[in-house]
Amino acid sequence: MLWACLRFPGLAFAAAFAALPEDVPGALLEDNARRRTVAIVNPAAQKLGVQRGQTVAAARALCPSLVVRARDKAAEAGLLAELAAWCYQFSGHISMAPPQCLLLEAGASLRLFDGWSALSGKLKQGLAALGHVHALAAAPCPAAAWVLAASFDGCVVQHPEQMLRLLNDIALSRSGLPAKSVQALRSMGFRRLREVFALPRPELTRRIGREGMHWLDRLRGHASEAIPAWQPPATFFQRIEFDAELEGSEPLMFPLRRMTQALANMLAARDGGVQLFRLRLEHTRVSFTEIPVGMAAPQREAARLFELARTRVERSTLHAPVRAIEIHAEQLPTFRPPLRDLFDPVRGEGLDWSALDERLRARMGESALRQLSAVADHRPERAWRHGDGSTPPLADLRPRPLWLLHRPRPMRPTPARVLAGPERIESGWWDGGDLRRDYYIVGTRQGQRAWAYLPAGSHDGWMLHGWFA
Amino acid sequence: MAGNDDVVPDYAELHALSDFSFQRGASSARKLFDRARALGYQALAITDECSLAGIVRAWEAAKDGDCRLIVGSEIRLHDGPVLVLLVENHAGYSALCQLITKGRRAAPKGEYRLGMADMQGLGEGLCVLWAPGPLHGSEAARREVHGAWVARTFAGRAWIAVELHRGPDDDAELDALRALGERHSLPCVASGDVHMHIRQRRALHDVLTAIRINTPVAEAGHALFPNGERHLRKREVLGRIYPPDLLAESTCIAARCLFRMDDLNYVYPRELVPEGSTPAQHLRNLTQMHMGGRWPDGVPEKIAATIERELALIAELEYEAFFLTVYDIVRFARSKDILCQGRGSAANSVVCYCLGITEVDPANAGLLFERFISSERKEPPDIDVDFEHERREEVIQYIYGKYGRERTALAATVITYRSKSAARDVGRALGLSEDQLDQLSHAYSHAHGDVDIGLRLRERGFDTSSRTMRQLVGLVAELHGMPRHLSQHVGGFVIADQPLYSLVPVENAAMDDRTVIQWDKDDLESMRLLKVDCLALGMLTCLRKCLDLLREHRGVSYGRMADIPIGDEATYRMIRAADTIGVFQIESRAQMSMLPRLKPKDYYDLVVQVAIVRPGPIQGGMVHPYLKRRSGEEATDYPSDKVREVLERTLGVPIFQEQVMRLLMVAANFSAGEADHLRRSMAAWKRHGGLEHFEERIFKGFAENDYSPEYAARIYSQIQGFGSYGFPESHAAGFALLAYISSYIKCHHPEVFTCALLNSQPMGFYAPAQLVHDLRRQGFEVRPPDVTASTWDCSLEPLHARDAGNPKAKLALRLGLRMVSGLSSDVAQRVSDARRHAPFGNLDDLCRRAALGRGERERLADAGALRTLSGHRHRARWESAGIERDLPMLGTTGEERAILRPPTVAETVFADYATQSLSLTAHPLSLVRGQLRRRRACVASQLLSMEHGRWIRHAGLVTVRQRPATASGITFLTLEDETGQVNVVVRRDIAERQREIFLGAVLMAVDGELQAVEGVRHLIARRLHDYGDLLPGFSAVSRDFH
Repeated sequence: MLWACLRFPGLAFAAAFAALPEDVPGALLEDNARRRTVAIVNPAAQKLGVQRGQTVAAARALCPSLVVRARDKAAEAGLLAELAAWCYQFSGHISMAPPQCLLLEAGASLRLFDGWSALSGKLKQGLAALGHVHALAAAPCPAAAWVLAASFDGCVVQHPEQMLRLLNDIALSRSGLPAKSVQALRSMGFRRLREVFALPRPELTRRIGREGMHWLDRLRGHASEAIPAWQPPATFFQRIEFDAELEGSEPLMFPLRRMTQALANMLAARDGGVQLFRLRLEHTRVSFTEIPVGMAAPQREAARLFELARTRVERSTLHAPVRAIEIHAEQLPTFRPPLRDLFDPVRGEGLDWSALDERLRARMGESALRQLSAVADHRPERAWRHGDGSTPPLADLRPRPLWLLHRPRPMRPTPARVLAGPERIESGWWDGGDLRRDYYIVGTRQGQRAWAYLPAGSHDGWMLHGWFA
Repeated sequence: MAGNDDVVPDYAELHALSDFSFQRGASSARKLFDRARALGYQALAITDECSLAGIVRAWEAAKDGDCRLIVGSEIRLHDGPVLVLLVENHAGYSALCQLITKGRRAAPKGEYRLGMADMQGLGEGLCVLWAPGPLHGSEAARREVHGAWVARTFAGRAWIAVELHRGPDDDAELDALRALGERHSLPCVASGDVHMHIRQRRALHDVLTAIRINTPVAEAGHALFPNGERHLRKREVLGRIYPPDLLAESTCIAARCLFRMDDLNYVYPRELVPEGSTPAQHLRNLTQMHMGGRWPDGVPEKIAATIERELALIAELEYEAFFLTVYDIVRFARSKDILCQGRGSAANSVVCYCLGITEVDPANAGLLFERFISSERKEPPDIDVDFEHERREEVIQYIYGKYGRERTALAATVITYRSKSAARDVGRALGLSEDQLDQLSHAYSHAHGDVDIGLRLRERGFDTSSRTMRQLVGLVAELHGMPRHLSQHVGGFVIADQPLYSLVPVENAAMDDRTVIQWDKDDLESMRLLKVDCLALGMLTCLRKCLDLLREHRGVSYGRMADIPIGDEATYRMIRAADTIGVFQIESRAQMSMLPRLKPKDYYDLVVQVAIVRPGPIQGGMVHPYLKRRSGEEATDYPSDKVREVLERTLGVPIFQEQVMRLLMVAANFSAGEADHLRRSMAAWKRHGGLEHFEERIFKGFAENDYSPEYAARIYSQIQGFGSYGFPESHAAGFALLAYISSYIKCHHPEVFTCALLNSQPMGFYAPAQLVHDLRRQGFEVRPPDVTASTWDCSLEPLHARDAGNPKAKLALRLGLRMVSGLSSDVAQRVSDARRHAPFGNLDDLCRRAALGRGERERLADAGALRTLSGHRHRARWESAGIERDLPMLGTTGEERAILRPPTVAETVFADYATQSLSLTAHPLSLVRGQLRRRRACVASQLLSMEHGRWIRHAGLVTVRQRPATASGITFLTLEDETGQVNVVVRRDIAERQREIFLGAVLMAVDGELQAVEGVRHLIARRLHDYGDLLPGFSAVSRDFH
């Protein structure tokens, strides 16, 4: 057996900062720390003196524009799984060693790939192309490969004695022992694994516990172990949040390409395809645009998936800037399903509204189908929006016309009489849409009831804004 | 549209919230009154929601105008309608206070809970306005129910408040309310539900609403008011909205509400005076009774005369009960052996000296009572009493016990928006992300007056030309200084003869079992209520421990602080040499650098020293003139005899707050009231002024008395420099005594002083490492923590065991287990208990008998405290890790002996610092001295003999970073190496340019110029280096003061 360990030191950062431009200084925070301290920084931040261990306040003092993020465990796991899917082409036995390592059983693949140097060359080349900084080491037992990858990048040892020689020189802090054991051993004056290996076994066990002892055994190949094999997942989900709100569809293309590439990797690992996936563009906490991307037959090619997604996104109108994007794929068929025509007559009892809704959207695009919902805003123009119908109606009992004109227009002739009002509305300074109006319910000469307004406090300049039923 | 356009109707606003309805009212009472007066309102009711916290300010705002204040409160019943209660007379005021107290006490801090049932027995003297609120379809029925209830419950004194704000159909609403009133026989009155003084506050009000409901403004929706009508509207406008009878009704109600805050009469607690005596008589008796204690050989005639004068003044001002109250508290503390010391204007009297409230002998110190208390200035007496910080709670419990919880409560402190908190809240309301909020806080927290906030914001990546940022900057400025919530004062107790809730509402404090009144100290002062400040002072704890140690080890028994000999020359010599690490007040960097120049030689010099080295006087440019005059470099001049009288004791330079006030009175024709007003506004000046209001007045006054404009300008800039730091002489006097006493003990018993100081940590300017170093420098032995000798506290032990019990023997300081971070006092207790029983045979024995857990053993081993039992740290850790908790008998005895390497010196030093933040083994810098020498760094001791102006490099651990709030932006760093400390001055440009090193370096090197003037040595930094690479893994020890 030969186990290779791939170590991705930049993984936590990459997962949390999926959409950060390179020249923007960014720092990832230590988790579980009571004080907010910096764990990992990018080169742009490093250049300005931001370092691991600084408090956010100190880091900000050095670099006021520093973008700070907390670790995102879910995104890290997702990214690692993505890499596992990619590695699947090189070995049938892959194991995740979170948070930042993958183990590959390489012994069985050596012949297929024409030896270690060719295999490792392919791995390194491919990962570099994907943009992932990594370290690689191989050893007869997985624990040793894991430890060596952290200290000796590129090393490969086939023989146990050779492996032991390398392990002897490993500093305790990099030995993979639990932090508590490392700290205890260091406080007793030990620095390297060699000194610990030399200690009498029962005494050592008493001090670092069975768990610690077991790890030392695994390192040296004294203990057999079963390495769980990674299985490609049955569904796919990915989310990228942006630092700034993105306007329009153009800037979405870069993240979209990344996501479809990841989906394609996973599909390749599963040897399957996808027939329907959904993109969800998030505008605010509560509002988002959902774009289903369906296709006639299952697909798995990255470029094709991207192309499909791109056209759908470009065709939809985004009513607000986007701050996050998600991709969901739940049905991943491993075979070509039978085709079905969209306009097959629907059998059964009456109309299936949700299915119709979905089909119309997929067929005609998002903008063709709308539903109104109420918004809590005093300004009439903003008191409604196109929504998804899931927002409950508001309990606003102010009299409002059924038909609100798209935009107010001068009222000619001026109203015949005032029925109620003025209702003064002054609101909206925060988004540039501040207005000050006196609204009246008025009667026209034809006896219609209209909603009209005057600039607050003024007596002329009637504007018509709506009609009552 | 009702009403007549031609006539401007009379009006009184009966429903208005000030900013003391937190996050609801958007304008201060002062702004509301200014506006109401301008509009010609007859009266304005301030009706904050279930609160009278803002009523004193409202009263002051209303004082000088013809728009009368009506006291009231808005109550939102949890199960009923919104009511506005207006006070007609004294009885009504008490009833309102009681009701508010009831509601507030029944709910957690900051909230209240009142229901319809609570209103049943509402006392007389209150008018009730019922505000039915906007009509929603289903609520018509509820209006009827409420109407019937209001009419029944408040028969003959209830109105319907008709509050029209340009809603969808005001005319219909008016008709509906009138009909409602007729059905229930309730008259209608116009009122405004005012939330702001002018319409332009609408944005700020929306922001407050958003803050209150914790949502961005953009998502606040219908929680925002639809328009800005809830401001004080012009009477013409009201005349077009309301029919005349409704407006006229408002003035009728106003005419019923004649209660004035001046009517309140506060009565001092009476029980302090025995039956049959008067307060004056009793105070006189007590004073005479205690005179003998102070002057055992008979009271000198001069003193007796002073006492008579003081008693007469106290009687004239009727302050006896105040003195008696403080006396009673102090007497209690004495009986429990709790050290205490009074300070403040009234404390500097022979009477207080007799009564033991202060240990400062005023006659001796040249502090005259009349200087502080005068009959012309009607200010209330001020005595702050400091107690040992670890025992103040006993005093507080005594006060509660003696007067009962109904009659005593803590004063409130009004927490106002500072620019940083305002920026955060406004930013959140405008929808900025958490990350941006952090950035915003940084920008605003560093925004000193002289740096443009726009610049700061741009530096942090904000686009200040954007709409949001422009709005934010404006709103922050508006919000800044507005009250945010009530908190409790640090120790100001209000005690009354009657239950407090008849004077002022009482509410719950954050701490269990504490109640606070709704007024803060300024309100109390205005209302002339008695407040006794019981404060906690760490130095008193330290002095108490000193006295105990002296008794135990030296056989010296100072019963109280007054027994310490005064005027000790050796002590003053030590002070003049700036050898004052650890002593009270005069230990800081700035203080120490001033001592060799000021050269204190007596107690009054210390009083000046305490007051002079404060940011205020430094900024005002006063230090130098005073020093120059003291050294004779500059002539002392007085433009007149009157000025001489005020400033003579400080050589013509105003140093104390009292002098500034007095000076303005004698030289600028200020009345006592004006001077007092100025004093109180001093506290609020901060940087952005307030003095400008007085500028014209001051210059005019000086001119009227024929002082030159130059002199006036000089005095003006000196007063301006006081800012909020102007220090009163009356407090400096109290502090100076503690400074002297702590210096005396440090001078004569340094080991005792250091021991007590270490046991009172955290306190003071220096970390234990510096205190220990200071003691060792004087030739004393300091021993490490050790389970075979240490207790929790640091202790003193004879240097040689044979000297035990000899009060003259030299003592060594044994560090206590409290020095080991992460160890609890409980462990130390178990160890010392077990040791008392029998000495420990070995580690197993210790662990078994003291029941030490694994973590505790490890901690002790790491700290080196097992050295006697186990040897070096590595072995101690190995052995203690081998003991199995449940089977201590199966200890390490049967184990194979492991080969363990002893720690190196560097490892020992690192471990010492990691566990105790100090090392007795070696200074970390001595480990790398060779490398430092190669880098051409000189040691601290070399600097002492170098000449002024020399360019050098020095390297040391950064132990203190201190940025005083002076405008110059200078930071003081203290660097420490194995030979001593060096004070480094870092100018702003260097700090900015080398920010990273400046803020982050643990081991720093400084290239710069040595400045040595009058015995004070500073290194003026020109370039900083981070030498942290020499001590990798060494953790920071700096104390940063910003």
